[in-house]
Amino acid sequence: MAAYNPGEIIVDPADVEPELDTIDLHVNVGPQHPATHGVFRMVLQIDGEVVKDAIPHIGYMHRGAEKLSENLDYRQAIGFQDRTDYLGGFNCELAYVQAIEKLTNLEPPERALYIRTILTEFNRITSHFMFLGAFGTDLGVFGTSFTYAFREREYIQDLFEAVSGDRFMYAYFRPGGVAWDVPADFKDKVRWLCKQALVGASDLDKLLTDNEIFIARCHNVGRITLEDAIDYGLTGPTLRASVGYRSATPSDISPDLTFDLRRDEPYCIYDRFDFDVPLGSNGDSYDRYLVRLEEIRQSVRIIQQAVEQMPDGPILPARVPRLRPGPNEVYMRCENPRGEYGLYLISRGGTGPYRLRIRGASFCNLSALKKMTVGYYVADAVTILGSLDIVLCEVDR
Amino acid sequence: MEVNNEPPAQPPAVGPEVTQPAPATMPPAQEAPVAVAEVVSAPEVHIRRSVGVELESLRLQPIELEQPKALYRSVLPGILQVPADYVIAAARKSSLWPMTFGLACCAIEMIATYMSHHDLDRFGIVPWPSPRQCDVMIVAGTVTKKMAPAVKLLYQQMPNPKWVISMGACATNGGPYTRYDRVLQGVDKIIPVDVYVPGCPPRPEALMDGFIALQNKIMEERGRVG
Amino acid sequence: MSPEERRPQAVIVPPEPGTIADLFAEALPGVAVTPHQGVTDVILIIGRDDAPNVLATARTDPRLSFDFLRNLSGVDYEEDGLEVVYHLFSYKHRHNVTIRAKVPTDDPRIGSVAGLWAAADWHEREARDMFGIVFEGHPNMVPLLLPEDMFDHYPLRKDNPLAPLEEWQGEALGDMMAQAGHIPPGSGYDVVAAEEGE
Repeated sequence: MAAYNPGEIIVDPADVEPELDTIDLHVNVGPQHPATHGVFRMVLQIDGEVVKDAIPHIGYMHRGAEKLSENLDYRQAIGFQDRTDYLGGFNCELAYVQAIEKLTNLEPPERALYIRTILTEFNRITSHFMFLGAFGTDLGVFGTSFTYAFREREYIQDLFEAVSGDRFMYAYFRPGGVAWDVPADFKDKVRWLCKQALVGASDLDKLLTDNEIFIARCHNVGRITLEDAIDYGLTGPTLRASVGYRSATPSDISPDLTFDLRRDEPYCIYDRFDFDVPLGSNGDSYDRYLVRLEEIRQSVRIIQQAVEQMPDGPILPARVPRLRPGPNEVYMRCENPRGEYGLYLISRGGTGPYRLRIRGASFCNLSALKKMTVGYYVADAVTILGSLDIVLCEVDR
Repeated sequence: MEVNNEPPAQPPAVGPEVTQPAPATMPPAQEAPVAVAEVVSAPEVHIRRSVGVELESLRLQPIELEQPKALYRSVLPGILQVPADYVIAAARKSSLWPMTFGLACCAIEMIATYMSHHDLDRFGIVPWPSPRQCDVMIVAGTVTKKMAPAVKLLYQQMPNPKWVISMGACATNGGPYTRYDRVLQGVDKIIPVDVYVPGCPPRPEALMDGFIALQNKIMEERGRVG
Repeated sequence: MSPEERRPQAVIVPPEPGTIADLFAEALPGVAVTPHQGVTDVILIIGRDDAPNVLATARTDPRLSFDFLRNLSGVDYEEDGLEVVYHLFSYKHRHNVTIRAKVPTDDPRIGSVAGLWAAADWHEREARDMFGIVFEGHPNMVPLLLPEDMFDHYPLRKDNPLAPLEEWQGEALGDMMAQAGHIPPGSGYDVVAAEEGE
């Protein structure tokens, strides 16, 4: 018998029983399904077990954050940014306040920049822990990976609560800095949490990475080439996992690109830190998992450097002007845990944004679902959807 | 067996046709009582209601159920019924199985409440994905008008007795997104809600408080539900 | 205050020589392109009829080689019409550009770029839902975010107001809520309750 590569189709149904006239089945997955990705519906057209077509239907969580932000003040609209990508709230707030700072030429003080970086990287860690928990649950480790992941998240959320007052809808960043100073034991807590996050990451590593069922379900499942990924607008760990998997006619990519906006188009103070960007070689779900697991460790590296360099000082400029930027526009992009989170902010002299277009990373990542799912089995469809790590509020806004 | 929440075939007319013979302890009905034979012919009285409501008096009253009663209600009525009610209500409240219906950000706090830090399993609350085997539906997150038919269908798929906890500001009245015209301003527009848990998102302790309030409610209404 | 004072126009600052605007001028000699320097990128303002040509050149020309469509958004400038804004990035040359195509409000059509970038598929469907801009040549123009049966107005247009707060929460429920003892006013049951002398 030929070698069995998990994820590849080994039998063409037409060869087996050519006289059997079958029809394709349309299976509706969602909008309520046990995988906790939110309200997402996909209609799978399957022939036996093989997925022939996957049509995603979104819009069940379309709440109009863009429209509502237009009717609010600049500072009031920070609350909507938290709720767009709720697992990476600080990343979204960072993009938003930086967009306003670019329009108004505000320079936040150094201490504020370091606080922002540390909290943003911790948010990346909590988001990746959530992914590891949810991905394991999707694949059948029902509950165990979630329990491990949430243990770490609770520790880090205690820090967030001590700093900003809320566990995950912070509204803590302000244009020009942060709202108030951090508590006195911030640095000690941060150092302890770094060690704890590494322990948690290694726990989940031991649970999942070498598990042969996990490998069988993820390896070679949902492969996408780098050229296709760029064409579909994929960004973030989903794109970085495909860097080694080029199509038959590879296009030219600049050799010093890392596909990570913290390195390629540095914002905030990321150019002061030394960290690696994990890149995958196979473009499948297993690589997407490995990339995110390694990113936790790299984020810890950034935090450890930042907390040593963090100075004392003010956290807002001496005088924050009234936020009424003149007619101008900016497209501020930041590296969210899910990919590139872009905010196209147009101001026209008012107290609030004239147009705030949110380019959510999950929105673009999800558009490639059909490309990644067709040709694989039905069970792989859940794996691929889980490995994309989408947040429906970012898809639908 | 019909479920409770289908609307009756005709609008419930208040009048002699729908009067049910009132129990001896209750104040006399406003209309003249009608013989049972006439009542049975009206279709709506065959619908078994889990909450007995007299439309004329408009408050919760125990009613005589037309369906065959449970044995404990007919044998030694009043004596065996009370402890049995207590035991049944205590059993129901101690093993509430919520349907995992996390829609948006509140889902993350709901999951955090299930997890080991704020454990809900110690109350007997086990999240269960299938609506056919659940008692409670926690609507956690914004309900949009596109999602509303699905919410209604899931509610109807749950067997009686069932309760609904509306978690978060969005499920209560639309929350921060209430002014957008594609958002349903509160899930109680389409399904009846038992407990509202405010917050954006509510803390895990607040959700636990909501569950305890629901447990108290189940114990309070123990004599009055079927 | 006159409308001009209330809504100040942006001053167009031409970009420095040597930026991407020069490459566009080389690649598209005959096309009227107004470049100006934005906060982070160079912004090119073009007319809607030139848009398919400009974008196809941006995709295919080896000096430009924009293979990543970052963002495609619609904007409603009320008197100045609608706009479709494209943010592009090139992984080969590592340069960015923003292209704004003006579209009149009464005739909101523009050529689709879904054939150039697969990412444009969903972005264009959303722009159609939100603004009513018709993308000609799009393969699958069905509503993306809005429910199919509620497609009567475009939410992100400026003349579309926010929803009013509904006063009574149980307004549309009627029979079912009455059974549970919850009587919405104006449903008819409250009149009945008054008649019964409760």
